[in-house]
Amino acid sequence: MHIIRTVKFTIPLILFVIIIGFLWHGLKVNPGMIPSPLISQPAPEFKLPQLFYPNETTSNDDFIGHITLFNVWATWCNICIEENDFLLKLTNIENLRIMGLNYKDDVALAKQWLHEHGNPYHVVAVDSSGNTGIDWGVYGTPETFIIDKKGIIRYKHIGPINAAIWEKTLYPIIVQLRNETL
Amino acid sequence: MLPELGNFAIILALCFAILQSFTPRFVQLGTVSAMAQLGFLSLAMLILIINFINDDITVLYVREHSHYLLPILYKIGAAWGGHEGSLLLWCLILSAWTFAFIVFSGKNLPRSTYSIIIMVLGLLNTGFITFLFITSNPFKQDFPETPIVGNDLTPLLQDPGLLFHPPALYVGYIGFAIPFAFAIAALFNGKLDKHWARLCKPWVILPWAYLSCGIVLGSWWAYRELGWGGWWFWDPVENASLLPWLSATALLHSLIVSEKRNVFKGWTLLLAIITFGLSLMGTFLVRSGILVSVHAFASDPARGVFLLSFLAMIIGIAFFLYAIKIKHFYQQPQFNLISRETALLTNSVVLLTAMATIALGTLYPIMLDSLNLEKISVGEPYFNIIITPIILFLLLMMGFAPHMHWGRQSILTLWKKLRMSMLLSIVLGITIPWMLGFKIYGLTCMGLALGIWVILSTAQFCLTLTSHLTLHHLAMIIAHLGIAILVLGITINKSYSEERQVKLFLNEKTSLAGYELTFSKIDEIHKPNYHTQIATFLIHKNFKKAGTLKAEQRVYLSHDQLFSKPGIHYNAFRDLYLTLGTLHTDGSWSIRIYYKPCVRWIWFGGFMLLLGGLITFLPIKKRGLKHAYH
Repeated sequence: MHIIRTVKFTIPLILFVIIIGFLWHGLKVNPGMIPSPLISQPAPEFKLPQLFYPNETTSNDDFIGHITLFNVWATWCNICIEENDFLLKLTNIENLRIMGLNYKDDVALAKQWLHEHGNPYHVVAVDSSGNTGIDWGVYGTPETFIIDKKGIIRYKHIGPINAAIWEKTLYPIIVQLRNETL
Repeated sequence: MLPELGNFAIILALCFAILQSFTPRFVQLGTVSAMAQLGFLSLAMLILIINFINDDITVLYVREHSHYLLPILYKIGAAWGGHEGSLLLWCLILSAWTFAFIVFSGKNLPRSTYSIIIMVLGLLNTGFITFLFITSNPFKQDFPETPIVGNDLTPLLQDPGLLFHPPALYVGYIGFAIPFAFAIAALFNGKLDKHWARLCKPWVILPWAYLSCGIVLGSWWAYRELGWGGWWFWDPVENASLLPWLSATALLHSLIVSEKRNVFKGWTLLLAIITFGLSLMGTFLVRSGILVSVHAFASDPARGVFLLSFLAMIIGIAFFLYAIKIKHFYQQPQFNLISRETALLTNSVVLLTAMATIALGTLYPIMLDSLNLEKISVGEPYFNIIITPIILFLLLMMGFAPHMHWGRQSILTLWKKLRMSMLLSIVLGITIPWMLGFKIYGLTCMGLALGIWVILSTAQFCLTLTSHLTLHHLAMIIAHLGIAILVLGITINKSYSEERQVKLFLNEKTSLAGYELTFSKIDEIHKPNYHTQIATFLIHKNFKKAGTLKAEQRVYLSHDQLFSKPGIHYNAFRDLYLTLGTLHTDGSWSIRIYYKPCVRWIWFGGFMLLLGGLITFLPIKKRGLKHAYH
């Protein structure tokens, strides 16, 4: 009886230790990695004009056959400048296309921005109204989706990409996707 | 010069906090140190505010959170708008609570209890000031070579709510350090008597009242600024403030039983520890960036590690003490199953259950993530489904409890006394929506009926008690009515809100919930730190003018970011809430309109909790409450 009571009174301590354990572990996982309900789903449909060729459009069909880094950016986003520097280094990676979604932006400013900072994108889609962004569940800029050869979203990263994130998370996914057949 | 002085003030405050931790050996020294600490922390805060007013951009914190164009009131508010400043505020408030405790309760407590309480508070502030100084120094400087301007305060925080919401919340959170210290003292000394409970009670009521007020202000801020027309999002940071509130409410009720009947001692001690633990955990969750949330603006893993270690140490020791010492507090319960004691015990158990389910929902994603199972987020549906029945049950109990006697209570008398109120509330709950021509939903009727039930039974309690009404009775009545009004507001708001999204040209009309809105004009205005487009809408009801409504879309110069400020037209029974969306190329605007019935009742009820808490401190002599300790 006495022992049972003593055990009972240590329950709060035990529960507390368990919670602390989880929180401790939780500190080590990346909070920027928010799950997107779109993962493993086909990319939401869109058909948008291209930034440099306003008469031509780009759509989901362009995903087929390549691994695509779908990067949401805007000129009003200051961190995007930093990210742009890094994206420029990725332009020569085998079988990887970088597609930009210019989000809620001014077309003239966007063009000037890319001239000034360099253009890492194979194609830039213009989403002035932000509707495509909403379909894609964009919280803010920058955000990056990895899309496989079949046009299915495989990963979403919120915030700027840098060398560390690229090496640790994104590149391994791309290597894995390369081995998948169409 | 000034920032160095600020640093110096923080270091001195830290030294005094360390000295304060030695109170059990040197009582006088501890007391004096606590006061000196308050002085130096106030000085540090004052210097920080002056740095903001002077736009001293060599101070990193000022540079990141201010801009020379920012209005002066927000410059002052920005002093605690970011992580570093808010932590300084945190330390300052803990120090102020310590001071208040010394002044008001210091003399009435036995020396052994007093010195342990001061020691615990000293140790806590030693930890916090160390954290402030090492990981989050607000006076950190560097000297940029090119002239630059500050980053400015996030537009979302440029709101009068910012000036009051975090301080009120913090005063609440940190205030629970005092009942926590009381609990540690009781565990150390192996003694918890009525006198202890009576002296501890104001130090639970006051932080509880401020926390209530802080939560309500936060909800009000989110409603006005975030532009989604919602007043509660079950966001992790909001939950983090609700958890200690629930547990403190349970503590408050359990403490009353300990005071009046000398029972539930172990439970009271446990709740005091849990409440403060949850306050600390709330800070940890917000400041570590472990949770992704609209509120979590500052995050840094190093800070998380420090805070978590500190939390683990403080609360771990407390629970350990509890486990080994609590057997001294065990007592044979001496009350019947049907009694006020049982009612209040049920209340605190139910509140703690509510707390645990919300904590589970908030922490569950982290736990799954730690176990590498999957990434999920727990949202509104979970919380609403789980919390609704718990709250409804609590309301039912709330009607009965004040009418029950200590010791034992006959169900038959209780039933005879309250059956009319019960019947009336059920009838009103169903007929009110019916008479007003609203749709009738089961849950709505239950919410209404239970809200009305609490009001009626509280009124009945008032009538039977007029002869010897004390301030504590009055506080209870006000707080319970506040909860009832809050619940009625939530019920009506959840059931009968309407919204629609439309595309409107200038001078075009749209309607919602019987109101007709005309988009009458759009003005462009240039303010020092932002440009704004203000759209004016005329509101008509039944072809009579009911008012105008102005919604804004701002571009802050230093952020280059669009920011929508909703327009709200309100009265006691409904809000019309309008947000301006995008301007289309054809000249039309997308707008979103919400009709929110009784939304203001929620905050009004919330503020009644503050009022109820504060009223117990009116300087009216209470019979039987003033006698010294022997």
